Amino acid sequence: MADPFSTSSEDVIQRLIDVPLNIATAPDKLREFYQISETCDFIIKHSYKKVALQFPDNLLVDSVAVAADIERNTKAKVYILGDTSYGSCCVDEVAAEHVAADCIVHYGSSCLSPSKRLPLMYVFEKRPINVEKCVTVFKELYPDSQSHIILLYDVNYVHAIGDLRTALQTEYPNLIISELVCEGETCYSHTHVKCRESISSDQENNQFVYKFGRLFFLKSELSVKEYSIFYIGQEGATLTNFMMTWNRCTFCSFDPSTGTGRTESVKINRALMKRYYSIERAKDAGVVGILVGTLGVADYLSIIPQLKEAIHKAGKKCYMFAMGKLNVPKLANFLEIDIFVLIACPENSLLDSSEFYKPIVTPFEMEVACNPKREWSEEYVTDFRHLLPGGQSHVPLAELQDFSEADVSLISGDLRRQCLDPESDQASESSSLVLRNQTMTVANTNSAASFLSGRSWQGLEKKLGETPVVKAVEGRRGIAIAYEEEGTS
Amino acid sequence: VNFTIDQIRAIMDKKANIRNMSVIAHVDHGKSTLTDSLVSKAGIIASARAGETRFTDTRKDEQERCITIKSAISMYYELSNDDLAFIKQGKDGSGFLINLIDSPGHVDFSSEVTAALRVTDGALVVVDCVSVCVQTETVLRQAIAERIKPVLMMNKMDRALLELQLEAEDLFQTFQRIIENVNVIIATYGELQGGPMGDIEIDPIKGTVGFGSGLHGWAFTLKQFAETYAKKFVKPGEAEPTSEEKAKKVEDLMKKMWGDWCDPSTGKFSKTNPDGKFVRSFVFFVLDPIYKMFDAIMNFKKEEIAKMIDKLNIKLDSEDKDKEGKPLLKAVMRRWLPAGEALLQMITIHLPSPVTAQKYRCELLYEGPNDDEAAMIKNCDPKAPLMMYISKMVPTSDKGRFFAFGRVFSGIVSTGQKVRIMGPNYVPGKKEDLYLKPIQTILMMGRYTEPIEDVPCGNIVGLVGVDQFLVKTGTISTFEHAHNLKVMKFSVSPVVRVAVEAKNPSDLPKLVEGLKRLSKSDPMVQCIIEESGEHIVAGAGELHLEICLKDLEEDHAGIPLKKSNPVVSYRETVQSESTQTCLSKSPNKHNRLFMKARPLEEGLPEDIDKGEVSSRQELKIRARYLADKYEWDVGEARKIWCFGPDGTGPNILVDVTKGVQYLNEIKDSVVAGFQWASKEGVLCEENMRGIRFDIHDVTLHTDAIHRGGGQIIPTARRVLYACQLTANPRIMEPVYLVEISCPSDAIGGSYSVLTRRRGIVFEEGNITGTPMHVVKAYLPVNESFFTADLRSNTGGQAFPQCVFDHWKILDGNPFDTASKPGQVVTETRKRKGIKEGIPPLDNYLDKL
Repeated sequence: MADPFSTSSEDVIQRLIDVPLNIATAPDKLREFYQISETCDFIIKHSYKKVALQFPDNLLVDSVAVAADIERNTKAKVYILGDTSYGSCCVDEVAAEHVAADCIVHYGSSCLSPSKRLPLMYVFEKRPINVEKCVTVFKELYPDSQSHIILLYDVNYVHAIGDLRTALQTEYPNLIISELVCEGETCYSHTHVKCRESISSDQENNQFVYKFGRLFFLKSELSVKEYSIFYIGQEGATLTNFMMTWNRCTFCSFDPSTGTGRTESVKINRALMKRYYSIERAKDAGVVGILVGTLGVADYLSIIPQLKEAIHKAGKKCYMFAMGKLNVPKLANFLEIDIFVLIACPENSLLDSSEFYKPIVTPFEMEVACNPKREWSEEYVTDFRHLLPGGQSHVPLAELQDFSEADVSLISGDLRRQCLDPESDQASESSSLVLRNQTMTVANTNSAASFLSGRSWQGLEKKLGETPVVKAVEGRRGIAIAYEEEGTS
Repeated sequence: VNFTIDQIRAIMDKKANIRNMSVIAHVDHGKSTLTDSLVSKAGIIASARAGETRFTDTRKDEQERCITIKSAISMYYELSNDDLAFIKQGKDGSGFLINLIDSPGHVDFSSEVTAALRVTDGALVVVDCVSVCVQTETVLRQAIAERIKPVLMMNKMDRALLELQLEAEDLFQTFQRIIENVNVIIATYGELQGGPMGDIEIDPIKGTVGFGSGLHGWAFTLKQFAETYAKKFVKPGEAEPTSEEKAKKVEDLMKKMWGDWCDPSTGKFSKTNPDGKFVRSFVFFVLDPIYKMFDAIMNFKKEEIAKMIDKLNIKLDSEDKDKEGKPLLKAVMRRWLPAGEALLQMITIHLPSPVTAQKYRCELLYEGPNDDEAAMIKNCDPKAPLMMYISKMVPTSDKGRFFAFGRVFSGIVSTGQKVRIMGPNYVPGKKEDLYLKPIQTILMMGRYTEPIEDVPCGNIVGLVGVDQFLVKTGTISTFEHAHNLKVMKFSVSPVVRVAVEAKNPSDLPKLVEGLKRLSKSDPMVQCIIEESGEHIVAGAGELHLEICLKDLEEDHAGIPLKKSNPVVSYRETVQSESTQTCLSKSPNKHNRLFMKARPLEEGLPEDIDKGEVSSRQELKIRARYLADKYEWDVGEARKIWCFGPDGTGPNILVDVTKGVQYLNEIKDSVVAGFQWASKEGVLCEENMRGIRFDIHDVTLHTDAIHRGGGQIIPTARRVLYACQLTANPRIMEPVYLVEISCPSDAIGGSYSVLTRRRGIVFEEGNITGTPMHVVKAYLPVNESFFTADLRSNTGGQAFPQCVFDHWKILDGNPFDTASKPGQVVTETRKRKGIKEGIPPLDNYLDKL
């Protein structure tokens, strides 16, 4: 009989996770699809001894075959990393360091967030794309051959860009095709990805845009705003991220899996407005939870103190959480937190938090809420690294006196207190004796304490004299999820 | 009259001689013109010509629309010794300071009236001597509930005489009926006779009813006529009586001059009219002379006019002497029965001083115990700690800043004083919503402000330096343990909403700043951001919103706006009990919640709205009330876990379990889930209303770590949704009470518009003595944006007044997308950007 209150520990291992699995690639195509020979060259060239292969869930089926092949050809020790703690688009350096790997090979979709610790090689999925179809759709969407267009694409279609370029460049002189670029000298890749250092020098006179591992050069007299953007790839985090960032551009997309194109319009304004709502919530919040949702993206350690300072100066408290794969129950365990800030790679930062008990915002949004000097404008920053000192969108934190304006919340309609108000703490003003406030026996300055005092159940109830005295008995064994004797009750 | 600030300050100390009053009336009943005749008589700073420029309509759009919005004026008036004898309460010299607050007549703005009522003690109710309307009724009701003493003014008598040509006895009957109507309202909503305010019914023989014409600038109470006659009846040679004796005599005479009869030949009074020969004494003594005057002047009987003017001892200016017809009539009447004089006397004699009023208003105003130091506002003592209520924010010329306008109830408020600023959420002993700041005091008179050193209790004053720390209203005190003064209750609620958007998206911060200012400057308007990111402005009605949006666009935000069509907010409810006990399992499958939903008893949601049943109430009292009125089981009624949304809303969560272990541990989590779910119902994420959720059973994991908030909150939300879905969910819409007055030939048109718009007419009647009809109907708010439709169907002759009345279930199944509620659900979901279609039950319901 199945027990309603516990599951056997076996279940966790047996549990089925719903992932759209690819059908295993045929062995003969494997070498080409996973670029095994290039990978082997890379490993042999640098004579790495331990190699970590990081697979996203949907490519795990092929992992064993790929690993075996690489091991055979390079004599290096190969480890497969699956079930990445954060998004599978990010490089899981921590997991690789567990096995003291010398380098990582990252397979599948990637957000191209720079990671600094280990040499890295990207191998993208070569997803099928019908180039002719794509060209037709493109021509339908942009009948004017003089239009200024930037072409962006999902990393998994990078293999087809060369063909596209030849098909379109002559007809559309103003078309700009973005390139994939990675930062850091330890980052290698096959031919499609350039290294940052190699390009920054060559075209000095043209203005260039470099964001999210994409690089494109603009005609010097035009700004990004005046371009339309054409995106190849499925709807998803990558596209949303682009649309939020370049929110003044019109977007069109082509989905190679269905072979259809469409104009992505109105939605983005609404999405921005939704994010603005979150900012208002952040302004209202008294207690902020900082969720560290990455251990791979560079500079994540520098953004944390910056956020903490901003939050503190705005008169809010903060707690820090390290949490892999977020879900509703995990976050709902922390009732006292009013809002969460997620530090993650740009693509994983934009969570739709409507199902969550408390909203989740990006570091940028938190800064807008906490730093009066940073104003909400057209600019929307998804990459927290731009917020750091020296980053493209860094704004220094306002001085304390700039916080003094009290503010009305547009969510509750109440007044919100923006700062630690030194004047309201009478005691701190003078050192002379102050009569103890009789009505306030417990100081309610600590937000967690005041939350606890507001709860109806505050922990163990002693019930003195209500429970009979018994002799000590043997307790339960095992861990809470399934005690040993529980299976039968 | 011009006064220096010092002189005004000196008068302020005589608290027994202060009268704080508001003027309330229906739109277009001639309130502002009337107020102006007062101002021209006694205004302290400026004087404008009465009847022509309206002094109180300070905003341009007010003047254009004939609706007054905001103004406060101080006046100084001196009573003669003879008149002083009429005052029954304490007095201090013969000079009186009258603070008058004029508030808008349109029903959409009755929140402004509420704010005015809070700082005043008396009210001048102005009615068209045609009828009492919705607005007057709602406002009067509010005034009585706030313990504001009313006096009545029958306005537009000129029209009754000139246009309607009513017979004197008919006019008397009309007056009598209006007075009865008003008294019915007073009796229904006021306390019983002998209540704390004493007798507050209005009665001409007491002199609490005035008659006249604001437009022509004349008015009188029975006192004026009684005095004239009393003088006549004095036998020559008799010693000059004292003021008291005179007053006594006049009062005696007034008693006979209303409903009693008199013999026209002898002038003798009688209680009855035995053989039908007698004439009503009001008609004989009061109306007759007026009728004669009207008749003479309007029919150009020169000799007669001259005789009457002479007899009545009216002194005309030389330029007036050449006038004829109406202008002459105005001039003569204004001299004979000056409106300012009559009204100011009525106000000073019959309205209470702060000293009198605060005695009985204190218990209604103060939240704290009635014996602490702050409760001493009942004594109106300037030496007591400061207690002041801020009832509204008035925009200053400095953009984004406001004067806080309010009334000092006790103590003295002075410039430079450091005070405690307590917002509506302040709880004594806590720090939330409490600020300690120095302030400046200013005197506010209409458009003018003047700094003033300090202001003692009983007066109305403006504060500088408070606006940042209060949203709309609040309490100011110097007493450390002071509780709040009670927050005002509005008779209208913001049910009409418009989504606004900046035309240029980069103006968003300006829009937000503007919305914040707007929400400050209007006591009622709500500015919120919805989860969808839409910026919503919610107001009481179309007109209210229109003005708010205009202000927003032109003043507060100063940017071009895109506005959506008015949207109505809906509520979600259920119609029957859940068809099954719903079960949801926690994400780890170790905890189960079993619940059921059912509708709350009829009337209970309204009781919760009104605060008759509330979360703050004492447990046993609440249980008793629910058991007595709604036949709840007392045991269950004591186990109410909470109200929601926001801890106070009209939905209840009840624990009906028996002997469940660890139940108290998960209470906070379930309550959190309930607040969440009741705020965003399952149909289209609108608030729930009138649903009772019963927790029938709970099984929990034995280990606390596996029944934490993370497991319980989402589960509670899911099970509540399942309950709602299985209990015949329905959409509720707000319904207006609409009153349309129109001539009889436009009735058909009004009816057809109403029926086409799902309106239900429940009352129709003719206003006696006029060709006007009044149609009262219930009309869904959603269908009420109809002024244009109504105008075209009635040739512009019908005037609607709408006031929110109740919530009503929208017939039809919301699951049927073709039905009305189905459309509402689809539209709302679309607007909010949530997935189309109501989520299916199995999203929320788990199998055992």
